[in-house]
Amino acid sequence: MKGESDGVLVRRVLGGDTEAYAGLVDRYRDRLAHYAVRMLGNTADAEEALQDAFVRGYRSLARCTDPERYGAWLFGILVNRCRTTGARRARRERLIVSDEAALANASVEHTESRDAVREAIGRAVAQLPPAQREAFLLKHVEGLSYDEMTRVTGAKVSALKMRVARACEVLRRLLNEVDGV
Amino acid sequence: MSDRGDKLDRAIDLLKEPVTLDASFDTRVMSEVESAPSPRIWTQRVWTAIDWMTRGRTVTVSPLAGAAVAVGVAMVLLTGRNWISQDTTEPTGLAELAGVQFVIIAPAATSVSLVGDFNDWATSATPMQPVEGNGVWSVTVPLSAGRYRYAFLVNGDTWLSDPSAPPVLDDEFGRPGSVLTIGEL
Repeated sequence: MKGESDGVLVRRVLGGDTEAYAGLVDRYRDRLAHYAVRMLGNTADAEEALQDAFVRGYRSLARCTDPERYGAWLFGILVNRCRTTGARRARRERLIVSDEAALANASVEHTESRDAVREAIGRAVAQLPPAQREAFLLKHVEGLSYDEMTRVTGAKVSALKMRVARACEVLRRLLNEVDGV
Repeated sequence: MSDRGDKLDRAIDLLKEPVTLDASFDTRVMSEVESAPSPRIWTQRVWTAIDWMTRGRTVTVSPLAGAAVAVGVAMVLLTGRNWISQDTTEPTGLAELAGVQFVIIAPAATSVSLVGDFNDWATSATPMQPVEGNGVWSVTVPLSAGRYRYAFLVNGDTWLSDPSAPPVLDDEFGRPGSVLTIGEL
């Protein structure tokens, strides 16, 4: 399956070869998991959202109008699933640290370890409003172009640029309080 | 150096580090996928039907007939395509006989008949034929301009109307039916 294009695998699945879908899962699992973990802040929620995205992608495969771009199409589904998962979690519990002073204090306590730095960065990212966090991760961490981001999020380029700029501004301010970065 | 600033750049580098999922992730996904309805069946049936119906037609129909000819219990899924030729340039041909194709998607059927006032509601006069064994049944009937009532008889005992066509409002037989209009009446 590794040598076959997305379009070939999609057509095999639509032709009844369900196992061919495993090739698509293997091909996009790591890339999409990366976004989901960074967006949702923990592996458990990310796995739930990603599994849901893959299954929804399978059920809706006949509506993938450009099978050669299956990955981009699935990325759009995942972005929506992360929004849903994030909103549900926000209602369920408040995981993020909302107080900048608390963030700074927490980071000072753990600046000796690299894991603590990662944790502090994760907290800072988690403080971003979801739309800003989404745009920032897609642009600077996942490396999407603004045109690609538009297709994935449905937002206009101007809005996305504004969100990215604001996210960078907030992160820069928060990270200045964190030693070791 | 990036204009984002050193700390932000370093944070982004850390955020780009790979993540690790549970080793059973792929297995869980494929297990759920294998228990989900296959997207294959819907796709094949619909695209076969679309392909079949988008072939050229020689029938001249009124706008109402354009909807009425879209026969079939699943045809509601197939809107949005100009699948029937509506040739309005030759109105003189309306009174002549024209072949009108009727379609129904009935995957579980063993027999389907087209029944209407054009065949005196004879249940066996116009049997429909399966198309390529994928649940699509069809028959072509020569009809001249006019207004016709019709229905489908599935397996000899189940009457079906066409959900995408106007229903019969005065069916004296008490069974479902639809209206087909050919030509400008």
